[in-house]
Amino acid sequence: MTADSNPLLPDPASESGVGFWRDVWRRFRRDRLSSAALFFILFLALVALFAPFLIGTRPLLCKYKGTIYFPVLEYYYEGGENAVFLRDRFRGSFPENLKKKDAQSWAIWPLIYQDPYRRVEAGEWSGDPGNRASRAPSRRNLFGTDEQGRDVLARVVFGTRIALLVGFVSMGIAGAIGLAVGALAGFFGGKVDMVISRLIELMMAIPTLVLILALLSIVERPGIYHLMAVIGLTRWESIARYTRGEFLRLRDSEFVASAQALGAPWYRIMFRHILPNALAPALVTITFGIANTILIESALSFLGFGAPPPTPSWGSTLSMWREDYTAWWLAVFPGLAIFSTILAYNLIGDGFQEATDPRLRR
Amino acid sequence: MFAYTFRRLPIGLLTLLLISFVIYGLIRAMPGDPAAFLELHAQNVGVQLSDDQFREMQRHFGLEKHWMLAYLDWLGKTLSGDLGISLRWRLPVRDMILTALGPTLLLSVTSLALAYLLSVPLGLYASYRSGKPDERLLSTLLYVLYSFPSYVVAIFLLLIFGVELGVLPVSGMRSQGYEELSTVGRLGDLFMHMILPVTCYTYGSLAYYTRFIRSNLAEVVRQDYVRTARAKGLTEGVILVKHAFRNALVPFVTLIGLSLPALLSGSVILERIFAWPGMGRLFFEAIDGRDYPLIMGLTMAFSVVILLGTLLADLLYALVDPRITYS
Repeated sequence: MTADSNPLLPDPASESGVGFWRDVWRRFRRDRLSSAALFFILFLALVALFAPFLIGTRPLLCKYKGTIYFPVLEYYYEGGENAVFLRDRFRGSFPENLKKKDAQSWAIWPLIYQDPYRRVEAGEWSGDPGNRASRAPSRRNLFGTDEQGRDVLARVVFGTRIALLVGFVSMGIAGAIGLAVGALAGFFGGKVDMVISRLIELMMAIPTLVLILALLSIVERPGIYHLMAVIGLTRWESIARYTRGEFLRLRDSEFVASAQALGAPWYRIMFRHILPNALAPALVTITFGIANTILIESALSFLGFGAPPPTPSWGSTLSMWREDYTAWWLAVFPGLAIFSTILAYNLIGDGFQEATDPRLRR
Repeated sequence: MFAYTFRRLPIGLLTLLLISFVIYGLIRAMPGDPAAFLELHAQNVGVQLSDDQFREMQRHFGLEKHWMLAYLDWLGKTLSGDLGISLRWRLPVRDMILTALGPTLLLSVTSLALAYLLSVPLGLYASYRSGKPDERLLSTLLYVLYSFPSYVVAIFLLLIFGVELGVLPVSGMRSQGYEELSTVGRLGDLFMHMILPVTCYTYGSLAYYTRFIRSNLAEVVRQDYVRTARAKGLTEGVILVKHAFRNALVPFVTLIGLSLPALLSGSVILERIFAWPGMGRLFFEAIDGRDYPLIMGLTMAFSVVILLGTLLADLLYALVDPRITYS
């Protein structure tokens, strides 16, 4: 933390034997629920990363006409389809075409042959009857199918990618803005602080969803990245508030005075000296913010303002329930996915807060 | 206290002015020339605006003028109560907002009152039984509820009570044939329609408030005067209610100011799910149809309600804590 500290002064962290963050980690791990929540999020991250390996309609690896291909990569990078498959008119349907066009071909498939973007047709997979629309959960479709015959499990699994991405990207933007704005206000005080504090109050006086929707109505054809940007641009005020408070508190402390006496420029004092010490409350707020962001994204997608139609966001999967009120599986599974993720982030936030707040220490 | 209110008002008005400026600027960032605007609108909404509707846009937002001048014009009109005419419904925006305000306040004020009334006994109970199994169960339950997004709960409740059991109305504020009912019948009908929405509005803040009271009480009971009360031989219940709770109350009332934005934000989605004819649903429809005069008017209305709520919280703060004087 204080890598640039004066060698003549004792490093306060080394005195107690452990650094601040290692200490925080130790305290955090003592809380079993929060640790379990952290593991749950790590698990979700793995699911998100390897979603196409678990469930999909593209071979992970296949040998076709003497060459090895990785068709699964299309799920990661749209438009990355290999020219061979385009030329041979696979049209996204691999099992049949592979066999028909090259008898020697072989492929390694995902665990489950289902697709989040489209319905699996009859005969696509040898002897498979294909998905029927609006079916309750069965052994074929563990979470049922939607009215277009798409597998809900596949949509929920792929939805993890969007939920986690939205959380990180939006809160990354909000965190950067909030930290910078809060640091400026707290460090310089006076007129700068006045203006920024009014701005923060202003942001807090508008209901979040109202502001976000108003912003989105300006954008032409809002997509998932617009959504992330808009959420990030509107959710920084509480981060800024906490950072400002910490900077106000630390501005007059001795280590800042000594850095000033040594002639450190203001930006160095701000970023290298105060910021690391002011980070903990902001990070707690960011953790709670991620939960909130996931909530907002799913709510907007549910309303139809989020990701455009084929995107398998949890909110948009949930919104298909509005077409058919009796299809409970369309509400229950994505709903529980949203709930458990938000719960996990809140638990992590709480554990983190308890681990970093010196007033709560025993 | 009145002096404080008067000092506080200019700040509130300035905030409103800034909000209007930002939203106005954003709307004016749309293409100004008629052809481009109409094309974009048709593309976004899928409906062609008539020339008449475009003229209304032009009249209200002064599209042909420089945006600074147009803003001043708009401000003048807004202050004199002319909020423009909705592009989609062709009705004055002011009347539409006034009609929708009632149902929205009915839900949010009811739920705010319920959350306050229920969280006090729950919070006291939780502190009283601190560490006991029933308290832990209650706290865990509230924590889980707090993380449950209200619109997901709304859907689950609709599934259970509206679809499976069919005992509660699933949408709107009134049943068919409402007009024929007696006054009592009307109230009963309204009550039935309110049960599900109010539940969804309330449980989240209820959970939050209860946790808030509990953690505040936990701080207060560590203080010396509580120890003194205990030393006098007072019972635990009397100490909690008469001594500790009064001091925990102070930060509690300021929560009103913080809850209101969240409640109104929630109204956008909950009113949509329950087809409740309030401001949230109107806003949703305004956004859906890119009805700019209506978007503008509703954003201002939301902000006014929130600022009034903040002011109320400040005044209540002074009321419950005699140490605070706003003079």
